[in-house]
Amino acid sequence: MALDFSVLLRFQDALLKGLLTTLELTLICIVLGCAIGFFVGLARTSDNRILRGVSGFYVEFFRGTPVLIQLFWIFFCLPLLLGTELSNFTSAVIALTLYMGAITSETFRASLRSIGREQYDACVALGLPRWTQTTSVVLPQAVLRAIPTLLSNCISLFKESALVSAVGMADLMFVGSNISNNTARPVEVLTVVALIYFVIAFPLTRAVTFIEQRILTKLAV
Amino acid sequence: MIDRATDPLVSVSGLQKAYGALQVLQGIDLTMKPGERLVVIGPSGGGKSTLLRVMMGLENINGGSITFAGKPYIHAGAKPAKTAIDFQVRRSIGMVFQHYTLFPHLNVLQNLILAPCKVRGEKKSAATERANALLTRFGLGQKATAFPSQLSGGQKQRVAIARALMLDPKLMLFDEVTSALDPELVGEVEQVILQLARQDMPMMIVTHDMWFAKNIASRVLFCAGGVIVEDGPPEQVLGAPKEERTKDFIDRVFHIRQ
Ligand SMILES: Nc1ncnc2c1ncn2[C@@H]1O[C@H](COP(=O)(O)OP(=O)(O)OP(=O)(O)O)[C@@H](O)[C@H]1O
Ligand SMILES: [Mg+2]
Repeated sequence: MALDFSVLLRFQDALLKGLLTTLELTLICIVLGCAIGFFVGLARTSDNRILRGVSGFYVEFFRGTPVLIQLFWIFFCLPLLLGTELSNFTSAVIALTLYMGAITSETFRASLRSIGREQYDACVALGLPRWTQTTSVVLPQAVLRAIPTLLSNCISLFKESALVSAVGMADLMFVGSNISNNTARPVEVLTVVALIYFVIAFPLTRAVTFIEQRILTKLAV
Repeated sequence: MIDRATDPLVSVSGLQKAYGALQVLQGIDLTMKPGERLVVIGPSGGGKSTLLRVMMGLENINGGSITFAGKPYIHAGAKPAKTAIDFQVRRSIGMVFQHYTLFPHLNVLQNLILAPCKVRGEKKSAATERANALLTRFGLGQKATAFPSQLSGGQKQRVAIARALMLDPKLMLFDEVTSALDPELVGEVEQVILQLARQDMPMMIVTHDMWFAKNIASRVLFCAGGVIVEDGPPEQVLGAPKEERTKDFIDRVFHIRQ
């Protein structure tokens, strides 16, 4: 059987629409997930035992279970719990945001812990109040240090988001499988879909390496 | 308020400090008069850094107390976590560490003005003006907008000293500030400290550099095993020590250096 990529030309618009859905979903979940991750990361390093316990449970739960199953839970169980219907898109946003929040909180936590004792000593020796120490010294450094890993988290989420096709959301992956079913050309179709993911993800992974180097040089004391 | 030069600036009594089961400071008594420059020497692990860290209010203590300029400063509590430290008094003390402690995400100028603006509510323009004057004085006039990662070790330590001076400290603590430097950069940092000495800045200095010790000290403490073994003028402690342990140490250190 010869490969024939020309069949795909007919589905340009559908593929583009799927890609836009994927991008929209990913971007929303990145923004919301990073915001949750930031505060959960802080909560996990806080002095309050309850805050630490609850946030720790959340993170371990979402890190320790398959994303696909998390998606099914949110899609099928959350509406039952809330007693209202949720659109596919809303469910997907909730599920991936919670997952992203758990992953990025670990990134923030690690970068918070990477700030050495000397920085805290210097703050005390300068008489900086606790609030200034946190907002002017600790957090800016932690966020800077977190950026490369956060970007990697984002790229992973972009690819992981393909899982939402399994619950019927019309993202790039979903459109791709539909086309492949209709044309009986799975190899060509899925190769092109993979290429589309790659074309977006690859420059970003290169950018991560570059940005990481710059940040490491800057923060090397 | 200190109105007579003979009133002590610092008075340490019965200071004890342990890390877990390890007794690091075992009853230190010490008074320091205004204008004095104490150099602390002694073997590694003898508690020199710990003494300075306690003086800076960075550590809890197990016993004893410290007064500063006549005011109670640090007082041991029922347990180490209950150590009472007067933060207002602590602000009149500045410290520079062995390892670079500049804030890497801020440039030199921002490092200098952060504390004056945030702690004392000084205007940014006024703080910037003072900072630039200090930087120029320390030969760093061109470096105001450089980031710490763009500076040499010697420049970083001079910036760290300038940063501490921005708060007009009444006492400066230096803990082996040249130990991490390449040999050719040691001089420029020591010159800055000597410059402060000429202006009668009270200071406590931990150093392994005997030339520097001799040149800057008005008094030398030999500290080993968590106690002050010998305390006297530099000619005595460095030149003709009375205690056997001091003599051994000085012989060894000078021997290594020559
Ligand atoms: N944070 C800490 N936790 C546990 N032990 C510590 C800590 N800091 C210092 N010590 C121990 O306390 C003792 C005294 O240490 P300190 O740093 O005061 O010695 P030092 O005289 O400054 O030595 P050096 O010349 O090597 O700097 C050492 O045995 C050291 O291992
Ligand atoms: Mg030391």
